[in-house]
Amino acid sequence: MESAPKDLAGRVVIITGAGQGIGRVYAEHFGAAGSKVVVAEINKENGEQAAKAINDAGGTAIAVPTDVTSEDSVKALAETVMDTYGGIQVLINNAAMSSVVKSRLIEETPLEDWDAFVRVNVNGTFLCSRAVVPIMRKAKWGRIINISSAGVNMGMGKLLNYVTSKAAIIGFTRGLAREVGPDGITTNAVLPGPVFTEIAREAETAAFKELLVTRQSIPRKEVAEDLVGTVMFLSSDASEFLTGQSVTVDGGLTHL
Amino acid sequence: MNGLKGRVAIITGAGQGIGRSYAQHFAEAGAIPVIVDVNFDSAKAVEKEIRETGGDCLAVAADISNEEQVAALVEQTLGTYGRIDVLLNNAALFSSLTARPVLEIPLDEWRSVMEVNITGQFICARAVLPHMIERKWGRIINISSGTVTMGLPWLLHYVTSKAAVVGMTRSLAREVGEHGVTVNVILPGSTQTEIERSTTTPEVRQKIVDMQCIKRTETPDDLARVALFLASDDSGFVTGQSIAVDGGLTHL
Repeated sequence: MESAPKDLAGRVVIITGAGQGIGRVYAEHFGAAGSKVVVAEINKENGEQAAKAINDAGGTAIAVPTDVTSEDSVKALAETVMDTYGGIQVLINNAAMSSVVKSRLIEETPLEDWDAFVRVNVNGTFLCSRAVVPIMRKAKWGRIINISSAGVNMGMGKLLNYVTSKAAIIGFTRGLAREVGPDGITTNAVLPGPVFTEIAREAETAAFKELLVTRQSIPRKEVAEDLVGTVMFLSSDASEFLTGQSVTVDGGLTHL
Repeated sequence: MNGLKGRVAIITGAGQGIGRSYAQHFAEAGAIPVIVDVNFDSAKAVEKEIRETGGDCLAVAADISNEEQVAALVEQTLGTYGRIDVLLNNAALFSSLTARPVLEIPLDEWRSVMEVNITGQFICARAVLPHMIERKWGRIINISSGTVTMGLPWLLHYVTSKAAVVGMTRSLAREVGEHGVTVNVILPGSTQTEIERSTTTPEVRQKIVDMQCIKRTETPDDLARVALFLASDDSGFVTGQSIAVDGGLTHL
């Protein structure tokens, strides 16, 4: 983005899973927009590298090692951010189990595997949102952006754990929007398509992704940068009256 | 917002209400709105307002359901500015319609709603597309309505016409995506403008606000800022999508 929304400068933006992949691209763009970026990342080294890259480029960022499935860890994240920056304006619930998803039939899916997806993708979004809502309520302003998936619109088979967890995010977004709307907080979901990042996915082979590209309205590979404009818009003042919504950003592959 | 400066945006129904607000916001963002209205005097008045604030714009009289008039609109726009970057299909029959049950809707009225609200958007999109395709860049923003998601009774023709716009948006997006043109649709909620509507009493308005997540009346500004996003470079990979901008009243 050549020029991000101006009101993002100075805002404290927590991005979970920002140590790599799409999350890291969000972090870098918010850093360039003058936001105070919080890289909340389970992989300490990746998180520190991402924060360093933003600071080296003249931005402001801290890395906070965070396990979004741990109540204590998420609580510590919110405390660290408040101590460091004194506020939290934007939360991007990006951390998720996705690249490790294995393509398999329902009868071959172990309960432990299912539970892991619910724990990270659903409970993680709940815990992080619950930790920041009181702070946003007090400030009468907040933006929560949850990352779902165009896989929900498609209803992909053999990825039941992943697709179900991402569908839950849409219900969560709608319900939470009603709870926090009166306090100036909006909550929206972004549904990315098959994004090509540096991370190889077990289930989504390159061949499968390339097949999907041919079915998009815009027939080129989606990259992380394609999501940035929408996520920044949803973080800005301009989207003030948009809440509880699901915005699909997949080059017109699917619709909700 | 990225890349709006100098872009030419045809905005239909821009002589009053929400359309007028779109024109003002586009001008503020440095774009050049072409203010289209069936009522030339009102289009001229908006043109005057924008010019007084230093913005460039052009008022054109056109009935969007008339092929020749829309062709003339496109010709005049290209003749004046040499480009068309954005089409905002906002013109529609709405405030003049009487809310009434299905058995009381005259066929003539039904037909005129379809002609303006559906066919009008088709005629305008078809007229600007050859130029957008040639330049490999374009943004078409259609206006639907939150009444579609609600399934609002007593305005069957209006709600039906606005549902059609969602289908048109999805299919058209697939046809023109490879040419750098995106097509999206906004579903506004109950928006307060200067236009009086007999059915929207203060009590009705309050009831709607109570059902929203955000407890205040929707204004045209709320919609204009989303329209600017959909007209910008930032939304380049968003296409075929329906965006409800209604303070969280409905979801598609």
